[in-house]
Amino acid sequence: MATQATATADEDRILRRWTPLILRAILIVSTVIMVAGIALSITFAPDYYVGRFDAIQRGRLLGHESVWQLVQGMRQGQPHAVMIIGLYVLTLVPLARVAFTLVLFLKERDFIYVAATAYVLAALIMGVMLGRVG
Amino acid sequence: MLRILAGLFALSLGAGFVGALSGLGGGVFIVPGLVLLAHVPMHIAVGASLIAVVATSAGASVAFVRDGWTNLRVAIILECATVTGAVTGAYMAGLISPPVLEMLFAVMMLQSAWFSLRAQGEESVEHSDPLCARLRLGGKMPEADGTATSYGVVNLPGGAALMVVAGVLSGLLGIGAGAVKVTAMDYLMKLPLKVSSATSNFMIGVTAGAGALVFLSRGDIAASIAAPVALGVTAGALWGGRVLPRLNVGALRILFVIILVLIAIEMGWRALANL
Repeated sequence: MATQATATADEDRILRRWTPLILRAILIVSTVIMVAGIALSITFAPDYYVGRFDAIQRGRLLGHESVWQLVQGMRQGQPHAVMIIGLYVLTLVPLARVAFTLVLFLKERDFIYVAATAYVLAALIMGVMLGRVG
Repeated sequence: MLRILAGLFALSLGAGFVGALSGLGGGVFIVPGLVLLAHVPMHIAVGASLIAVVATSAGASVAFVRDGWTNLRVAIILECATVTGAVTGAYMAGLISPPVLEMLFAVMMLQSAWFSLRAQGEESVEHSDPLCARLRLGGKMPEADGTATSYGVVNLPGGAALMVVAGVLSGLLGIGAGAVKVTAMDYLMKLPLKVSSATSNFMIGVTAGAGALVFLSRGDIAASIAAPVALGVTAGALWGGRVLPRLNVGALRILFVIILVLIAIEMGWRALANL
């Protein structure tokens, strides 16, 4: 019993130390990318932004773009691609946090929590797949 | 362009600020702000809000996790329920017409107003029930004098059922659904209120993230709106979090309730007109 309590305390300590770092690091990186995208828009493509905003108000979106297309766009400094990449990086917050927890519980052989975190991670990935088809 | 950006940023900053002060989160205010003031279609506002909620949760939960207020095990177990609901809700959002979504949003705002006015849950419990004890869900919360007080957790099935509802609302309406999450943990599972709030805040990131991933991979996120809104709401939430300890929030509660009811009426009226 004491061993299990010690293991639980150890897991909690590791989670409390590393989770804030993961959250903060991804938040900072995504913020920098999004700010860069907005700055590029202001500097190089203000008319494109205004046109996009008008189209969005009429409910017209650009639709799905592949990650490869976005990376190519980002390399060319396209503001829209840079902003979307920033948003993708932001969505890594939940994915990275849950993946880290899964690895920790696997290492500690805490199988109830391995199952719980694996389910959450699978549901997040399922969300991406559902979005692609629907 | 600068006028549009400044308008979006100011709107988001205000939504994040009021969301932090009221404890309801920025999503409850940014969705109607975008729909009613920026004339953005409902499903695009929902997508932008989900992204903003992910950012706000990440920013706000850092201190709570570090200082020991967040119950990470409760969060992990209940996220199974919220994520299931969020993916379902976000998928359904693509199938439901905007006026119906707007009407649902108005009803949810009235529920949030009730949440703001209701009394806090009963006393927390010292010992967990057998299921929660087996999952080691009980925890310790820090006290002002440096010691820690133990608390137990009960009624996981009841809390998880309400968390599925919270997840569906989050994915469908672009909110964190913190009001429902705190109710589940505080009322049903008897967690201390501050632990419930901190744990809810932490879970909101994964819940909204699940919904955001569905919207993003479906191509339903408008980057031109979502990026400045995410930055504005997060800045507003951090600002609100700093101001919060110096304010008498109890006195502001009636003002928040009036704002919520007025926005609910406006959203409901607009939805009825477009049905």
